[in-house]
Amino acid sequence: MTLQTLKQNLRVAYAAFVITLRMNAPDAFVLFTIVVQPLVIAVMAMWMLVERGAANALYVVVGSGMTGLWSTLLFMGGNSINWERWTGTLELMVGQPTPVSVIVFGKNAAVVFQSLLSMVGSYSVAAILFRQSLVVEQPLLFAVSLILTTAAFVCFGLVIAPMFLLSPAVQHFQNALEFPVYMLCGFLFPIALLPGWTTPLSYLLAPYWAARALHGTSTGGASLQETLFAWGMMLLLGLIYLLISGWLTERMLYKARSEASLRLE
Amino acid sequence: MRILWRNVRLFIEGALLSYIALFRWLQPHTYLASKIIMPLAQILFFTLMGIFASGAQNAAFYAVGNAIHIASVNGIYGVTMSVGGDRWSGALPYIFGTPANRLALFSGRAFFHVLDGMLGVMVGLMWGVLLFGLDLSHTDLGGLALAILITTFSTSGLGLLLGCVSLVSIETMFINNTAYFLLLVFSGANIPLAAMPAWMQGVAWGLPLTRGIAAARQLIAGASVPEVAPLLLGEIGLGVLYILLGYTLFRWFEFQAKRRGTLEAF
Repeated sequence: MTLQTLKQNLRVAYAAFVITLRMNAPDAFVLFTIVVQPLVIAVMAMWMLVERGAANALYVVVGSGMTGLWSTLLFMGGNSINWERWTGTLELMVGQPTPVSVIVFGKNAAVVFQSLLSMVGSYSVAAILFRQSLVVEQPLLFAVSLILTTAAFVCFGLVIAPMFLLSPAVQHFQNALEFPVYMLCGFLFPIALLPGWTTPLSYLLAPYWAARALHGTSTGGASLQETLFAWGMMLLLGLIYLLISGWLTERMLYKARSEASLRLE
Repeated sequence: MRILWRNVRLFIEGALLSYIALFRWLQPHTYLASKIIMPLAQILFFTLMGIFASGAQNAAFYAVGNAIHIASVNGIYGVTMSVGGDRWSGALPYIFGTPANRLALFSGRAFFHVLDGMLGVMVGLMWGVLLFGLDLSHTDLGGLALAILITTFSTSGLGLLLGCVSLVSIETMFINNTAYFLLLVFSGANIPLAAMPAWMQGVAWGLPLTRGIAAARQLIAGASVPEVAPLLLGEIGLGVLYILLGYTLFRWFEFQAKRRGTLEAF
């Protein structure tokens, strides 16, 4: 890839980023997944966990914020290609010279960036409604963790989007995928509560390492080595997701073109 | 007598057709995802969070609360989509053009969702038994089935009211999702009512599910039906109240839509 191609791709990804932000801003469903649902979960978790001393408030703020990140990615990022199909723009997207995955990257980046508001909402609930004093123990490490989390979520979304298009059967389970990832990634309780056979599944999910890094750095409960390891896993899994998504996108486009089903569901 | 029979037929046929119309696109795996796996995941999530908070000895509190809350999958989403679906599919002008009894027609939209919702709750309780060792050995199972029936009925009453809102709003899913999650907070499924501030308790007792969940927990703990009768009667009363409110709104929308010519306008 030449420098000029890279610049062109970045320009297209940025354009997709901006247009997605604008389109999502007035969408009530996005408002629900980013604001309402994480707030409700935060309120319940504050009552269930913090009031009983099982976890501190920052743990709940981070965990419930991450539920917003995942739900938004699942529904908005997961449908980012399907959305083009529903609105009749998929043919145009596939026909232009920029790779489809670049556009989906821009769209998913916008979705994840917007969903960071979930954390702000959860923070507000804990600080205002429950009058909790919230101090991030390792602010610099937390900031880096947040940046890597964003990147890892975007890459994860790149795998989900073509998968939903390739297999409508998988997409039928979209609603059912929300809570399992909350659990497998240990957003609001440790994965030790789950059966042992699920642990390898957790390790394969970048959001799990993101939760470990964010929980650890916000509460100060993780050592530097543990945080670095979580960052490394996010980077490694992000890279793997990129490779898988590239392959899936190629397969999706080949299938759609060979079966002439680009527009058909 | 003929009019009564005609209305009963209208109720049953309308209920059946509305349910089939809603689920016409459903295949077994979609039903499996939305009615079996999603409820299982929700019960697991909140029960495990409850166990993390207060220990495994309290698992039954969360498992029962969330299993009964599953009634709102049908009660809120199903019923609302059945009522709103008449508008989306363009059937509303035909419905408002018929001389059919509106109450039979309107309440029929909820009928099969009450039955399907009961099934959903039972599946939820089964998950509680299988995964968290929920003990039903002291339970009056007939009484529990009655409590589930009454709770799905009252939740469907709220669904009918929200369904009317979907006749004038395009943000149906936002309203449904918000109602569903607010019920999780206020119904006492996960937070004991006694732990809530007074204003929240006031809201909780004005919503369906609250009494149903409380009654189910007592029945599972060994209480008899007469002991939980006040809760169940209150739940029935709330259901009837929500249906009447929804029906009044439905008639008002019909009147306004006909007067202003906005039957299919959003």
